[in-house]
Amino acid sequence: MAVLSRSLDGVGGIFEDRPKPTPDVIVFVLMASLMALGSVMVYSSTFVRLEEETGDPTSAMRRQMIFAGVALVTYVAASMIDYRLYRRFPAFIYGLMIIALVGVLFAAPQKGATRWIPVGAFQFQPSEFAKVALIVALASLLAMGAGKRLSWRSLGTALLMAAVPGFLIFLQPDLGTMLVVGFITVGMLFAAGSSFRQMLVLGASGVVGVIAVFQLDILKSYQTARLAGFFDQTADLQGVNWNLYQSQIAIGSGQLVGRGLLQGTQTRLSFIPSQTTDFIFTAVGEQFGFIGGSAVILAYAILIWRVLIVAAGAPNAFGSMIAVGMAALLSFHVFVNIGMTVGLVPVTGLPLPFMSAGGSAMIAMAGGLGIVNSVWRSRSPVSDRPEARDL
Amino acid sequence: MNDRKRPDGRAQATNTWRVGVLALLFTGAFSILFFRLWFVQLAAGPEWLLEADQNIVSSEPIAAPRGDIVDRNGIVLATSVPGLVIEIDRSLLPVEVEDDVLQRLAAILDLSPVEVREAVERTRSGEVASLAEFEIDADTAYLIMEQRATLPGVTVRALPVRGYTEGSLMGHVLGHMGLPSPGDLERLPTSDTNTPIGKLGVEREYDEFLQGIPGKHVYRINPEGAILEEIGTVSPVTGATVRLTLDVEVQAEVERILVEAIALSNALKETQDEEDPDRTPPPTERATAVVMEVNTGAILAMASYPTFEPQAFVGGIDIDSFEELSERQAFNNLAIQGVKPPASTFKAITYVTAMEENIFPEGVSTPEETIECSPQLAHRFEDDSQHLWRNWTFPESDGPQNLHDALRRSCNIYFWEVALSIWRAFRGTDREGMVQEWARAVGVGRPTQIDLPFEHEGILGDRQLFEEWQERQPWRVRAEGWLGGDLMNLVVGQGPIVATPLQMAVAYASMLNGGTVYQPRVADAIDTAEGDRLRTLEPRVLRSVDISPETVASLRRDLTSVVRSGTARRAFEDLGGLVELVGGKTGTAQSFTDQQGVFHDSTAWFVGVAPIDAPRWVVAVMVDEGGSGGAVAAPAARAIFQYLLGTDVTPLVAGEDTER
Repeated sequence: MAVLSRSLDGVGGIFEDRPKPTPDVIVFVLMASLMALGSVMVYSSTFVRLEEETGDPTSAMRRQMIFAGVALVTYVAASMIDYRLYRRFPAFIYGLMIIALVGVLFAAPQKGATRWIPVGAFQFQPSEFAKVALIVALASLLAMGAGKRLSWRSLGTALLMAAVPGFLIFLQPDLGTMLVVGFITVGMLFAAGSSFRQMLVLGASGVVGVIAVFQLDILKSYQTARLAGFFDQTADLQGVNWNLYQSQIAIGSGQLVGRGLLQGTQTRLSFIPSQTTDFIFTAVGEQFGFIGGSAVILAYAILIWRVLIVAAGAPNAFGSMIAVGMAALLSFHVFVNIGMTVGLVPVTGLPLPFMSAGGSAMIAMAGGLGIVNSVWRSRSPVSDRPEARDL
Repeated sequence: MNDRKRPDGRAQATNTWRVGVLALLFTGAFSILFFRLWFVQLAAGPEWLLEADQNIVSSEPIAAPRGDIVDRNGIVLATSVPGLVIEIDRSLLPVEVEDDVLQRLAAILDLSPVEVREAVERTRSGEVASLAEFEIDADTAYLIMEQRATLPGVTVRALPVRGYTEGSLMGHVLGHMGLPSPGDLERLPTSDTNTPIGKLGVEREYDEFLQGIPGKHVYRINPEGAILEEIGTVSPVTGATVRLTLDVEVQAEVERILVEAIALSNALKETQDEEDPDRTPPPTERATAVVMEVNTGAILAMASYPTFEPQAFVGGIDIDSFEELSERQAFNNLAIQGVKPPASTFKAITYVTAMEENIFPEGVSTPEETIECSPQLAHRFEDDSQHLWRNWTFPESDGPQNLHDALRRSCNIYFWEVALSIWRAFRGTDREGMVQEWARAVGVGRPTQIDLPFEHEGILGDRQLFEEWQERQPWRVRAEGWLGGDLMNLVVGQGPIVATPLQMAVAYASMLNGGTVYQPRVADAIDTAEGDRLRTLEPRVLRSVDISPETVASLRRDLTSVVRSGTARRAFEDLGGLVELVGGKTGTAQSFTDQQGVFHDSTAWFVGVAPIDAPRWVVAVMVDEGGSGGAVAAPAARAIFQYLLGTDVTPLVAGEDTER
């Protein structure tokens, strides 16, 4: 561990030596590339159906490209804004988030859940923004005790702060997002310096929580069915395991180099429900094969790596905590989303960052990365400049 | 692991090592993703690719035309005609408009709405009703398709429909079609409940050859099942043609003669003045005749009356007709299912046993020595039971008779004495059942293995069977078990023995051809629809029985004397000089009153062969509760022989009333 720490110190050292704050080009390029690929994948999954139904095969892709554009603008804007601004009114951010999450519960249910608030022609999904907002709010809290051991009091406050939006999201219901909230919270608490004992308590309460969920029969029947389906993936292929089965057919049939762009029969003929949203990775797997799929995984790995570098070298604990939270958010989404398409984790409705069709998650995550970039830019070439100092 | 200090002494903003741990964790997670992806795409990829190709293809079956059934000369008896069938899918037909739709359909078909509704109720299987009984032409089909918008759930499908060309002729042999029952679905590899299968006769026995191979339209579909494009068509393969051993012309003549025999039987019943009203015989309704080649087992004609029209089942038979036919036992093929005591026709088997085993009445050691054919026989058994048998054949003494005379005159006393000799010499030993052994060897009391379903194997009683019954069905047998009296009954074809006419035909053929038992069969060959031979069903020898040529010659001679001067003499008078060529035996199973008090008349039998010196055909006739064998069955057999021998068939006249 000492070796690792030293090497990361070295990474920190790079920060110190750089003369000028420049935006992180790698992150921008990776993000934009994933968005472009996502748009093409949306096209490949929809053009047959749209051509037949409306005569306009590109409409879904165009919509996705608009979202991508808005997301990139959001990223740049968030990069420009000094992230320390958010630290002045964390309660306001947190409050806004709670209001949105409560508000969505009164919206009309769609597909058995109330996750969306209609805004004109679009659907606004507050829980996606809530994740970023919670990261900022938690970062603000945890930064206060920076440099010291995490107090039990801070730990309790943090858990309470996460529990309220977590519960509201659970009511929608959106189990996947709830799990994201939990993962982000635990990740940030760990990075904030929680002790071994505190982590043990967190872990124990997690186990108790899972048992409680099953004992109290809180899960919806489709959720338990998905879970059961995951543990016996050969059962009920026409029912609960249809998605998983079709998804593996699509990805598996891609083999090494894929069937070629627009040549995938599975994606083209929309065999997979939620093809453009939760299962967008199947389109990559089928059309571009193992080479394309692992390239996408690699792109996410580099992206998260960059965010972690910011976390390690941030000038203050607030910025570092934001970066940790965003890294946790992205990792969890990528792992669970791709994992479910290849039968590694149970089917959960989490979008693949920057690729899944839909605006809310993309814009929220781009905004979150923008804030991380703002942290990156604010690092000082001279370490003891006042504005870079931990406040 | 304490929080580290920066070189400048300030507290570091971040626990760098903790970020490192998170980085390690994420690296681990992504590695797992990577390897899983490798597994799904590269290790298991080929299998998934195969699934992908099957995933998007759907096919709609094209029914295969069923193969023809033709007679031995190639005359078509059953074929497949292209038909247009109206189908109503109730799942697509809203209940509230059902009446309107059926009314509109009835108007197009020029039928009453009631008729259409009844047809729908009758023929529905699951959600789909297939109205094959309404024959529609292309114009009508077009009309229906044109009005599809107002006829939800109604479609017209091109389906091959079974067509039978000869009405009820050979109905039992051909059998009929029907939708598979749950039992059929267990028995057959199919799970298709909407395609009719052979249910009876050749249609059932050779179903796998006749049914052909369905073709299919192959479509590319989306997951909702909507057709995107047609990929290809696999043409159906018409089922194979089954060529029968039967001859339409012989069959038609035999069926006609059978109807005449029933009429003769009923005419005779009317002229009989029965004093006792309880013994007034009910009218004769059932009769059967079978003509088989002695040296191949090929069935030339097999008729059973009452009969049915196989065509009635096409598109579903209505329940009233079905019940009426069932009531009359019209679906029973009496030739293979009508089990009756074979009566005196069985004496030929006892005769062969006596000759081959050298067992004769007490005091007699050759077939030529005589005993008195007295009116009755008294015997005291070893258990001191005294029995008296009345020789109902001859109330007066019939004079001294040897074995040959006894067969010709059908003298029961002689055969009873043979039974008593067996009983005295072999009771309780393994030779006790020598008559049954011979019977079983030539084909009685066991399946003939004919290529038709639901053959009845009859009953051939012996000590072992009685013991089995005592254990399992004790109400069928008396407590004392097998007795000498049972054997005495059995040797004259009464008591614990019932057999089908086909079994008796096989037995006579086997004994008279020198001991070769052939499997009787109705199919001769199976050809493809194009006429290429798939399979020739060669005559099949089931077993050979060792009968001395002397016995065979003697039996032939004595059977000839039956028709020339014995019990069938009068019945065969019309054969003129050709009578020399025929030999056979009459039989009359005793009349009885059953436990419900219903009187059952005697059952008339005749089994014979021609030409007697080089047997070619065996004919078995059985008129169920039709009266005397000599009077009713023998004249019918005579007419059949007239036809087979190529002479004019003269009308049936009553023969000698024997053995009543």
